Amino acid sequence: MERETLRLLEMLNQLRLTEEQKEKVISFCNNREAALKALDAIDTENVERMVHVMPVLTVVREDIVSQPYTAEELQQGAPETDEGYWCVPKVME
Amino acid sequence: MKYETVIGLEVHVELATKSKIFCSCSAHSFGAEPNSHVCPACCGMPGMLPVVNKRVVDYGMKAGMMLNCHINRTTTFDKKSYYYPDLPAAYQTTQWFAPVAVNGTVEIETSGGKKSVRIKQIHMEEDAGKLVHDIREDTTHVDFNRTSVPLIEIVSQPDLSGAEEVEAYLERLKTLLRYAKVAECEMAHGTMRCDVNLSVRPEGSNVLGVRTEMKNMNSIEAIKRAIEYEVSRHIDAIENGTEVLVQETRRWDDIKGKSYAMRTKETAGDYRYFPDPNVMPIVIDDEWFDSIKATLPELPEVKKARYTGEYGLSDYDADQLTKSIAVCECFEDAYSVCGNAKDAANWMISEVMSLLNVKKMTYDMLDLNGITLGELIVLVSGGKVGRANAKKILAAIFDDPSIVPEEYAKANGFIVSNDTGLIATVVKETVAADPKSVADFKGGKEKALMALFGKCMKQLKGNCDPQVLRKILIDHINGL
Ligand SMILES: [Zn+2]
Repeated sequence: MERETLRLLEMLNQLRLTEEQKEKVISFCNNREAALKALDAIDTENVERMVHVMPVLTVVREDIVSQPYTAEELQQGAPETDEGYWCVPKVME
Repeated sequence: MKYETVIGLEVHVELATKSKIFCSCSAHSFGAEPNSHVCPACCGMPGMLPVVNKRVVDYGMKAGMMLNCHINRTTTFDKKSYYYPDLPAAYQTTQWFAPVAVNGTVEIETSGGKKSVRIKQIHMEEDAGKLVHDIREDTTHVDFNRTSVPLIEIVSQPDLSGAEEVEAYLERLKTLLRYAKVAECEMAHGTMRCDVNLSVRPEGSNVLGVRTEMKNMNSIEAIKRAIEYEVSRHIDAIENGTEVLVQETRRWDDIKGKSYAMRTKETAGDYRYFPDPNVMPIVIDDEWFDSIKATLPELPEVKKARYTGEYGLSDYDADQLTKSIAVCECFEDAYSVCGNAKDAANWMISEVMSLLNVKKMTYDMLDLNGITLGELIVLVSGGKVGRANAKKILAAIFDDPSIVPEEYAKANGFIVSNDTGLIATVVKETVAADPKSVADFKGGKEKALMALFGKCMKQLKGNCDPQVLRKILIDHINGL
């Protein structure tokens, strides 16, 4: 992994890593990358795309409304609420 | 130099389901208290698992069929990384690798003729919540009622060449999705929103120019103005070097009539799509596929041809009726009972549709049982109820769908009397009380007869066969 890639990931994930953490992440990722690259040796021509790792299909539910929770219950762990809203640091486009 | 505009649209449509896409919270929170339609799943609490609403897949598939798409029989959900407080899980569950429908077409017609617009794909996804910035200075307020409301995003190929085609395309999408009853598609309600991708190139060139995207446009008029502005901005930049065009997302300010740069366009890689491990693949078997196919409606132009051909209606009448599937269905049911298409069409257009206008309801909001309307029309055409009284019955049915027209007519004294003795008495009294009209009529004034006729009808409370009354009235005057 290049430092530039890590910088982009930091930005996208809104993280700020220390120099020490950066070194750690880069060496970790480069190790994994080498392992993954080994897979490139396998010929996957004419192999159908795997849609999911689990050999099961989804269960769908009927379109029925139920409302067992209240905002108060869900907001118990919130750092701040106001008039039924969750409050977050000011964001503006 | 001459330029041509190349436009592709991404249209978000809210599906008309009762509950959200991955949880059982109500999908309809217009006017509701903030966070009154939320649960741990749509609030993005850790450990919650999504369960797919079957009707969302039904509607996604149906929309795909309406737009001549290929339906992916195995369709999957993916996560799109997205850090913003209106999506609490920090990702949007959407479709990237195997969307429900791909490779469709939508036929449009403009002053330039007919054209087929290619559809790249339709994918199902969840909507984001609402952020309120103006309650307090120091914080943003978050309402998750809209989070996880089901959407489809319809992605067109860059086949549109200007505002007129864009408008025709959006109108056609609306009609098709409303006919299929999968969505309301009302831009003013936010149930249809549009991103416009636009570039400009020298006419005849096959190289695309720099593309800009305008997000979340919510009225056709604003879209038309925004396109006009962007096209001239692009041409200005190309010809006069007023600015360097870059691929970017822009925000349209409809009040100022200008677009503004928002942020550099994230590429698909930046969203880091990856298969959602929590939603297993959905396999649409033949039974499921066929059950949806069987519910596809007749297209508006096919209906119109049938109405003018088979039913012998005028072009105007057929146009009016086919504006809305709800109106069509009511008309067809009424016709099946009364057996007279022209009569049924007249009732629909001059009475039912004007009642909707008075009540400020859209045609799609019509909730009138066509069978009941048909029974009412039979009462009128059979001479059992006068037209004026029938209109009163119709208004009553609008407010109370359980009303049976004939019972209501009886209970309210609206049944036409065949009591010629009573009619004769009323005629005698009315004529005696108005010698001037009698003299006028005898003097050749046809209108005077109408005045007398009206007075008699009023006296009889409208419950009289007009032909019978007219005959008795004329006979009586001639016998004077
Ligand atoms: Zn929920």
